Amino acid sequence: MLNRPLAAWLAAGWAAALLLPWYMLDDGLFSFVWLTEGYAGDRDYAPALFQVLWHERYWLAPLGLFLALPLLAVGRPDNGRGTGMLLVAAGAGGLFWLLLQGFGIDHRGVSLALLEPLVPEGGRQYGMGWGASLVALAFLFFITQGLAAHGLARGDVFVAGSIGLVVALVAAFIFFPVLTILSSALRDNQGALAPFLFLDKLFDGRIWGTACLTGGGRCGSAWNSLILAVLTGLSTTLLGLAFALVVTRTGFRAKRMLRTLTVLPIITPPFVIGLAIILLFGRSGAVTQFVADLLGLDAGRWVYGLPGILFAQTLAFTPIAFLVLIGVVEGVSPSMEEAAQTLRADAWTTFTTVSLPLMRPGLANAFLLGFIESLADFGNPLVLGGSYDVLATDIFFAIVGAQYDQGRAAVLAIVLLSFTLMAFWAQQRWLGRRSYATVSGKGDSGLPLQLPPALRRLCYVVVIPWAALTAVIYLMILFGGFVEFWGRDHTLTLRHYIHAFSVVEGEHGLVWSGAAWNSFWTTLQIAAISAVPTAALGLLTAWLLVRQSFGFKRAFEFGTMLSFAIPGTIIGVSYILAFNVPPLELTGTGIILVISFVFRNMPVGVRAGIATMSQLDRSLDEASLTLRANSFTTVRKVILPLLRPAILAALVYSFVRAMTAISAVVFLVSANYEMATTYILGRVENGDYGLAIAYCSVLILVMLAAIGLMQWVVGHRRLGRRAPSVASAAEQTS
Amino acid sequence: MKNTLRLGAAAIAILVAGPAFAAGKMTLYCSPQEEWCQLMVTEFEKETGIKVAMTRKSSGETFAQIKAEASNPKGDVWWGGTGDPHLQAAEEGLTEAYTSEHLDELHDWAQRQHAAADKKSVGIYAGALGFGYNEELLKKHGLPEPRCWSDLIKPEFRGEVQMANPNSSGTAYTMLATMVQLMGEDEAFDYLKALHQNINQYTKSGSAPIKAAAQGETTVGIVFQHDAVTMRVTGAPIKVVSPCEGTGYEIGSMSIIKGARNLEEAKKFYDFALRPDIQTMAAQAKAYQVPSNKQATPPPEAPDFDEIKLIDYDFKKYGSSDERQRLLKKWDEEVAAQPR
Amino acid sequence: MSGPASVRFEDVTKRFGEVVAVDSISFEVEPGNLVTLLGPSGCGKTTTLRMIAGLELASAGRIVIGGRDVTALPVTARDVAMVFQSYALFPHMTVAENVAYGLTVSRVPKAEVRARAERALELVGLAGYGARLPSELSGGQQQRVAVARAVVLEPDVLLFDEPLSNLDAKLRRRVREEIRELQQKLGITTVYVTHDQEEALAVSDRIIVMNQAVIAQEGTPRQLYEEPASRFVADFIGDANLVEARIRAVENGHAQVEAGGLGLQLPARGSAAGPALLAIRPRSIRLHPEPREHAVRVRVDKATYLGGHMEYEVEAPLGPLFVVDLAVDRPLPAGSDAWMTLAPRGVTLVPA
Repeated sequence: MLNRPLAAWLAAGWAAALLLPWYMLDDGLFSFVWLTEGYAGDRDYAPALFQVLWHERYWLAPLGLFLALPLLAVGRPDNGRGTGMLLVAAGAGGLFWLLLQGFGIDHRGVSLALLEPLVPEGGRQYGMGWGASLVALAFLFFITQGLAAHGLARGDVFVAGSIGLVVALVAAFIFFPVLTILSSALRDNQGALAPFLFLDKLFDGRIWGTACLTGGGRCGSAWNSLILAVLTGLSTTLLGLAFALVVTRTGFRAKRMLRTLTVLPIITPPFVIGLAIILLFGRSGAVTQFVADLLGLDAGRWVYGLPGILFAQTLAFTPIAFLVLIGVVEGVSPSMEEAAQTLRADAWTTFTTVSLPLMRPGLANAFLLGFIESLADFGNPLVLGGSYDVLATDIFFAIVGAQYDQGRAAVLAIVLLSFTLMAFWAQQRWLGRRSYATVSGKGDSGLPLQLPPALRRLCYVVVIPWAALTAVIYLMILFGGFVEFWGRDHTLTLRHYIHAFSVVEGEHGLVWSGAAWNSFWTTLQIAAISAVPTAALGLLTAWLLVRQSFGFKRAFEFGTMLSFAIPGTIIGVSYILAFNVPPLELTGTGIILVISFVFRNMPVGVRAGIATMSQLDRSLDEASLTLRANSFTTVRKVILPLLRPAILAALVYSFVRAMTAISAVVFLVSANYEMATTYILGRVENGDYGLAIAYCSVLILVMLAAIGLMQWVVGHRRLGRRAPSVASAAEQTS
Repeated sequence: MKNTLRLGAAAIAILVAGPAFAAGKMTLYCSPQEEWCQLMVTEFEKETGIKVAMTRKSSGETFAQIKAEASNPKGDVWWGGTGDPHLQAAEEGLTEAYTSEHLDELHDWAQRQHAAADKKSVGIYAGALGFGYNEELLKKHGLPEPRCWSDLIKPEFRGEVQMANPNSSGTAYTMLATMVQLMGEDEAFDYLKALHQNINQYTKSGSAPIKAAAQGETTVGIVFQHDAVTMRVTGAPIKVVSPCEGTGYEIGSMSIIKGARNLEEAKKFYDFALRPDIQTMAAQAKAYQVPSNKQATPPPEAPDFDEIKLIDYDFKKYGSSDERQRLLKKWDEEVAAQPR
Repeated sequence: MSGPASVRFEDVTKRFGEVVAVDSISFEVEPGNLVTLLGPSGCGKTTTLRMIAGLELASAGRIVIGGRDVTALPVTARDVAMVFQSYALFPHMTVAENVAYGLTVSRVPKAEVRARAERALELVGLAGYGARLPSELSGGQQQRVAVARAVVLEPDVLLFDEPLSNLDAKLRRRVREEIRELQQKLGITTVYVTHDQEEALAVSDRIIVMNQAVIAQEGTPRQLYEEPASRFVADFIGDANLVEARIRAVENGHAQVEAGGLGLQLPARGSAAGPALLAIRPRSIRLHPEPREHAVRVRVDKATYLGGHMEYEVEAPLGPLFVVDLAVDRPLPAGSDAWMTLAPRGVTLVPA
């Protein structure tokens, strides 16, 4: 007997092979012209069966064999090991053949000698469509079902399937493109193998130079990047922690405002913060001029270089640290803090010896994110870098600059990746094997600890000026859209808004005549579409990493971080290299944008999920499982409700990143799918700041609204704990 | 649950809107500013009925994209952007040879680009190199008006000049190559070393120095003159200077991408873009370059090519990747590595 | 529900990497029985319990529940329910939601879910607490919610993982009686893990003593107490004085034992003549202030008054002994001499 999921996938595989068009359609995935225009009779639209029978694509025939294999399992016990072997063989064989023929025969014909006997003269094929994709998925699930029967993931079909799915997706959309481009590090511009050129490029003085230490000259971009990333990681983590503590552990009045303010920077499109900082702190900036006049100094260009980038990055990435940390800070068990206090620890000792160490996973994850974001950030160094070269900008200009040296870009990317790897490794060492579970299955009736007074004052001193600064910058940005020329001619005008967002009454109703509408709607839709799978995939991966055990877990975890760590430019070009040709031909579609966002932003979901989930006692899952809930239901009913802060973080972040991403997107946008950021970048390049800023302001408002909506939809986590404000009130009255 | 449904619906809505088959269609990669690109597309569609899918990216980005897509090209025509990447694309066999019936109507420099690229590219506009300065800042710091390249290495301009990094910017590379051709290689590098002392920042992007000048972040920015004109037209106190010693220039070019799926339409666009009436329209889109068709009227704001001392720029030599790599390496080692 | 089911382990082994947590054990739990897995921490009892639940899969061997081979079945497919040491109550659900959870996910009709959940809460004496959150209950109440949540499913097998370890001593005694009562009322086959031998003796139909990944002995509480199969079991179940002895002869299953001047006749339990080990329960040693026949002289080292009984440490020819004496009215002062005899029960030969 076949179990239900297996039967369903078998049916889906057969239906896909018999009924659905095998190849990618020119008219988009959701076009249905194939039903009316030829269908099985048409070379482009026919399902696999008819491709073999009528259109001489004989090489697809072996797939039928592998699809038929699982039928032999009918009538056998469903958890027998023999059946497992059979399924693994069917799935692995099918998938192997699918890949072999996919890469061996493309739009230019057959390139693999092995396959030549199967391919008639002029035989060729296009990218995978509905049919091929579904069959591939079916094969994948045959494998995981088979392995589950052999005890993978304790025989849990859902877990095994999830592992298989995530591994396959990561392999297809992270490893495959990244390896494609990294392999170009070993080649010269003509594509020939050149290992010595690689070494030459790798040990280039522009990367590793240390002249700045000995006085005069510059340091290599690798050192610059590393220093910047460490500083940014530290500053964002500390600031994020201060914000999280103020919001969760004090009676600070303007918490809501603070929360909004901390979120503002991530919803700001690139370049804008940099521009605002220049207008405030640049040589002719308001603050610089004021201070210079006051002290009688010559206004300097101090903001360009390390200070400016660090400042902008801290402003931009602190919210990520905050989002990761707030869930963790909320999750620290009040009982444990109370326990410490009953053990004679005062508030300060309790905080440093119990609360803070329990926040370790959050701190480590926040630092890692800040570090990686800083390494990969290219917008801020571009605007504020001065002569401070970093890897991310070097990579961008190695590809699009006057050097036309993709190989050098790949070498730089390798250096950058090795830094990420190091940070990742260091994080793992630091966290070690300790347990950080604080939300256990026992109800916790303790009161969250108020911050010790000294620390509270410190937090206020850090948070309030920073918040004020952020507020000023945003007011300036808002203001910039309403003036003729930001920074020079401050005559009020609505010109920019009218140009970008005008709506006029036309013959057939409203006409969206503004120049920005097209890219605006596209961006909004793509961002909204990508947010949900990003969060889902990220949290699913986190759950697998925290709760399940399988052999290659560490490698798997690093793999999911990879696309986040690599600068967008590299991802953008690698996606073109990998997905411009069959078997996965996606360039020019909206799907490639969605996919790139999902896999670029997924790591945030993973990190947030891991941090929050390591605070959840494993027995909660197990209890649910023994109560007949399968893994899927367990995830849905027990894990997800307890993960609300992480879900929110992942949703918000992926939505926002999709709205504001630029570097990868530059290469992936096409005529039909223009994104807001590329449009804004074009305006900035043209010196048209007013329009750019007006557009940014609108985007910021839209994102704020969207975040509010998401917060409302996801709701608050119910931990059954008392609020600290109640505690403080009680303290004051007693 | 409802949200999932709604998102699903939205997903379907946008993905359904895939490219539609029209009678004629083509894909245009466009490198100049948005308005100019839009203008070209609108006019071409109006005239021919061919539907144009246009993507605007900088010339470096477009080059990288065409190269990455080489095994399965998606674009048809690459219109605009500085000439070097067009030449590089021709050198790497990424573009298609084509000779338009309008070729004879073009200025010499445009025809030379055609020849240099083995017919795989043609000039559509030209822009002379120069610099611009912020009049207010100049007055405030009591500096003399710079008129020549040699003025920029005077000690009083220390920390007041900005240019792009030739490693990342085609503009700055044009400046590097111009100096080598204007002064000879050794003297050019001496000049650049002296200039290095006055540079406050090598920007990444080619037009960034003039934007910085407009914002008051630097006094002088070395850029293409038409970029400086653009800033001036927006109201910035920018004065455009055509250096007295003479200067080099870029040739904005156009190429047909090899393996173009809509070759006929691509050729139609190519011919269309070289016509004098079409080139004259550039001013409407605030493009202040000099058109390549002799009969086209340059915009009144454009720097007058007759008044600019243009050098005889060797695009073939300085556009080749070997020479470029050599000069950039030399610049990096001898100029950029110097302490300031 | 298919009625109480049996649980059978056939040569089941569990390895975690190099470590063997459970080494080829076999046992059977009769339907409706409460069997305790007893042993020191790290002996493999919890792993065994988790293998019954399906939270761990056996590395080798067969597990059969109610005649069905479940060895490769995942948790969800087994008809078991478990009460966790930490209770594992879902903090974001109310008490009622927690109890109803298993029924809800099994797609039981809503009205029935509510009725059964209420009945289960009533059964554990928490009627009316449904709307509270777990954090608003005391430890004992939380524990009872965990039990209600498990029994409401009427599982084939009910599993307890050290359910009382988070409760105070008094509550522990009460709750264990409640668990036992409930189990007998419902007749559910139950496997219970504990490291507390008193708890095990109190609630079990049978006890399986585990030590170092294997079963040390299996039997009723009385069998374990009175006929320990090994030095380990004798020592672990109830206190025992283990002393060296000598078997002089074995006849008709009875052994003539000599230990420190005392002569005894005991069931041989498979021992042959020669050196042997004798387990003497503290309550089986009688102390007399005056010399008498067949008694040996001992010296009282320490005497402790404990209200209901006296505890002595004495130095005897057999070695140092620990004695519990109910004669509170006649205390023997420390330092005095006394005469010791052995009661007929509570003294047993331990097989080597």
